[in-house]
Amino acid sequence: MMNDSTDVLLHARSLRKQYGRGEGVVRAVDGVDVEVRRGETVAVMGPSGCGKSTLLHLLGGLDRPDAGEIWLADRRLDTLSERALAHVRRHDVGFVFQAFHLMEELTAQENVEFPALLAGRTPRQARRRAQQLLEQVGLAERAAHLPTALSGGQRQRVAVARALANEPQVLLADEPTGNLDSAATLDVLRLMESLNAAGLTLVIATHDERIAATADRLISMRDGAFVDQTRLTGGTRGTLADLAGLGG
Amino acid sequence: MGKLLLVYRLGVKDLRHRPAQALLLLLAIAAAAATLTLGIALHGTTDNPYARTRTATNGPDVVAITLNGGANPAGPDAVVAPGGAGGNDHADADGLAPLVNAPGVAAHSGPFPVTWTVLRNGHTTGSAEVEGRSATPSPVDEPKLQHGSWVGPGGVVVEAGFASNFGIHLGDRLTLGGINVDVAGIAVTAAIPAYPNTCTAEGCFLANAVANHNPGLIWATQADTTRIAGLAGPDAYYLNLKLDDPATAAAFAARYNSDTSPTAPYLLTWQQIRDGDAQTLARVRQVLLLGSWLLALLALASVAVLVGGRMAEQTRRVGLVKAVGGTPWLVAVVLMFEHILVALGAAAVGLGAGWLAAPLIDSAGAGLLGAAGAPSLTCATVTSVVAFALTVAIIATLVPAIRAARQSTVAALNDSPRTPRRRELAIRLTSHLPTPLLLGVRIAIRRPRRLLLNALSIAVTTSGLVTVMTYHATSGTWLADPGMTQATTIISAMLIILAAVNATFIAWTTALDTRHTAALARALGATPDQITTGLTAAQLIPALIGALLGIPGGIALYEIPKTSGTTTLPSLLWLVAMVAAILLVIAILSLVPTRIGIRRPVAEALQTETT
Amino acid sequence: MATVQQEVVLAILAKEPAQGSQLRARLDRALGVLGEAINDGQIYVTLSRLEKAGLVTRGVPGSNDRKVYQPTPAGHVRIAEWLAEVRWPRPDLAEFHLKLIAAARAGLADPLDIVDAQRRELLRRLRDAQRLAMAEPDGSEAGLLLEGIVLRLQADLRWLAACERSWTVRRKS
Repeated sequence: MMNDSTDVLLHARSLRKQYGRGEGVVRAVDGVDVEVRRGETVAVMGPSGCGKSTLLHLLGGLDRPDAGEIWLADRRLDTLSERALAHVRRHDVGFVFQAFHLMEELTAQENVEFPALLAGRTPRQARRRAQQLLEQVGLAERAAHLPTALSGGQRQRVAVARALANEPQVLLADEPTGNLDSAATLDVLRLMESLNAAGLTLVIATHDERIAATADRLISMRDGAFVDQTRLTGGTRGTLADLAGLGG
Repeated sequence: MGKLLLVYRLGVKDLRHRPAQALLLLLAIAAAAATLTLGIALHGTTDNPYARTRTATNGPDVVAITLNGGANPAGPDAVVAPGGAGGNDHADADGLAPLVNAPGVAAHSGPFPVTWTVLRNGHTTGSAEVEGRSATPSPVDEPKLQHGSWVGPGGVVVEAGFASNFGIHLGDRLTLGGINVDVAGIAVTAAIPAYPNTCTAEGCFLANAVANHNPGLIWATQADTTRIAGLAGPDAYYLNLKLDDPATAAAFAARYNSDTSPTAPYLLTWQQIRDGDAQTLARVRQVLLLGSWLLALLALASVAVLVGGRMAEQTRRVGLVKAVGGTPWLVAVVLMFEHILVALGAAAVGLGAGWLAAPLIDSAGAGLLGAAGAPSLTCATVTSVVAFALTVAIIATLVPAIRAARQSTVAALNDSPRTPRRRELAIRLTSHLPTPLLLGVRIAIRRPRRLLLNALSIAVTTSGLVTVMTYHATSGTWLADPGMTQATTIISAMLIILAAVNATFIAWTTALDTRHTAALARALGATPDQITTGLTAAQLIPALIGALLGIPGGIALYEIPKTSGTTTLPSLLWLVAMVAAILLVIAILSLVPTRIGIRRPVAEALQTETT
Repeated sequence: MATVQQEVVLAILAKEPAQGSQLRARLDRALGVLGEAINDGQIYVTLSRLEKAGLVTRGVPGSNDRKVYQPTPAGHVRIAEWLAEVRWPRPDLAEFHLKLIAAARAGLADPLDIVDAQRRELLRRLRDAQRLAMAEPDGSEAGLLLEGIVLRLQADLRWLAACERSWTVRRKS
């Protein structure tokens, strides 16, 4: 199903980003090339401090690389002005953060409406879109709740709905389950799977193996560089039975 | 005892941690305190320049006036702009004759002819009240020369207040009613209130040539006066009387003022002259006292803004208390203590500044003999100023202190940042607005108190400025005097500076506080321009409201202490210009810190603490 | 070929006697999709072993049915003992651990390559197990089993990540 035809949505060449100076310089992203095809789910795994968050920030236009190129569809991102980048963030890229970053004084629905309003939709259109999205993430009955009245997993799902408000081409998730307990992680997990099944392009930075396992392709990252790339297809049920202890 | 020491230590530590803010607070309160000190301790409140002048010039107890055309100023509203009065042309000195030998009169001088005329000094035009004198000294009211010599043919002496205000110097050539004269001398007198109050004690309403200018007194020879008066003859005659008992002046004058027939003389007492002189002082004092209350309001707003401060401040303060195992009550007490300390310092600074500045305010005017040197600060003055400063500090700190005390220990210790309250209406309304306003209003509405303080600050400043403008519009050049100009300039300057400081601080703390939200908005697709426009607009709206409220406020402030006369409103053009200037300044002050904040990359800005 | 333990079959019969086919059905319900790995023949082999050990008897007294099995008194005792046991399946880490060491010592292969290969495999299995687990309705018995597999795999993956870190450090020094 994953053809090798070049329907590449997002790609980056020789990305570099560093912090600090002299002795204390940290190469967060060190000469990384990455390619994401339309409809693919890519997971970037690695220990904390390996640079996966930085990579995602660069791909999402939340930070600028020190060197290298980033292309989204046919547009080059790293040379865009701050204003043009804001447009990209509005329409083409959806971002989900580890800390959710919901506005505490807005209800779930109002949080999801926000990007739509920013994009110039009328309040009615924004409301309809928000209701639709909350339905999609399974939180329709919590639309009028404030974030403080929602569990961690619910908050993150609202954040995902918000990221999808303007129908972005790609969804970037930075440690989406980093602040969640295992039950909440399952909720988000199910959501990621359903988005994957629906054909959305996802790039997820995570240290959680379960989240990584939802991906079609897994990239391992260490010290700012990629060390491994794997396709996660295949596997048999027979071996699973083995794992269950049903061996002879 | 230990508790007190603890409070002291914590308070001082907190203050030392934010010295800039403490200093700002001190300056804000000190400005108000200094103005108050000035108002209380002005020259002339504790010393008596009128009395000094009276002694030096042998001033009269009663001045009797008879006017041309028989208009008797014993009627009401003696302070009237000059204008013609019908009737006969000649002033009649005969009406004054019976007074010379009246019972109770010890000495007299005059009657002296008086005429009002147009004055030209180089390019400036004014009006003058010319009194004809002889070269010989008068037994009553012998004006004391400060410079030059007494009247002579072609040589006049100008009253000191008039000379200083009008820029007339020794040796200047003046044209009085078309006649050229030279300024031979400058002198002070106690027979008439000094310029610019010359017309307040008596009617100057006769002279038909002197429209729209506040006249000042000039002495000339009798011959010159007659020449200046022209065919119409003198407009009035003045007779100076010294009584056996000065205290009976009022009764004496009343006896003759009961006759209101046109040719009867009008009598002025020395108390009225003294009060006329004091008017300048009274006006300046009033302005200074009013100014000090306006500045106090501004200082209140400053304190409230600085105390409300940033969330980080409050959390840190609680942390301080936590470290010593204290309760939220302790936080409140420490807060109060800090500000009392600042207020005391401010009172000291204010007293000092006011004391130093008092001699600089020309409140007595050049027209009276003042005492040199700084006024003495009485115990009462010091107490009032200190109480004033403490009141300002305590009122401003009360609300945050109470709130801090009410906060449960658990909440305080949890260090939880205060979640902004949900404003249903604002959220619903803003969704219909264009993006910049949507952002700006939603962000600004999280800290409504700050918006209110912004508006208040601008309203107070605008009121002050509009009051000054109304004063200028109403009195024009009629009552211009240096003391008032100095006082209003000082107060206007202080109001503007303090308001600017407040606005800067509000803009700066707002920009810092909104970093996270602004970054989030950017992450969701808001452009930097939309954010800066929105945040700036959010500051401009309360500023505009404040400015618009300040206009009627300022006019009201002018009206309330006024006792008589009409008020001319300042021109619309000036008002619009003022509002535009205020908005421009606020816009710039808001724009700068916001723009600086926008430069950081979104990812970095999102890491900052939530607020 | 997957088998199921003797005690399990014994215990299933404790509720009520059953034929082989009924036994099969009960197992399938509990194991869900994984039950497909178990072959019918295996069940009958297990039943005959149990019979030989004297833990089950064939036939029910008072009935002509010769295909129905049920536990004997000894069988019930064995069931009780089994239920009370707290023996947990043995983890099998030593083999992999020694594999890495041997490969490194003898220079046969890069231990990191071995670790990576194993991680890839486990991740694939995790993906499959997870998909199956999420396909199950909430509260299903089979779903619970699959969840257990997922979590074990996750734990193993964490250990492999630790191995990777450790062997990377070792290589550098």
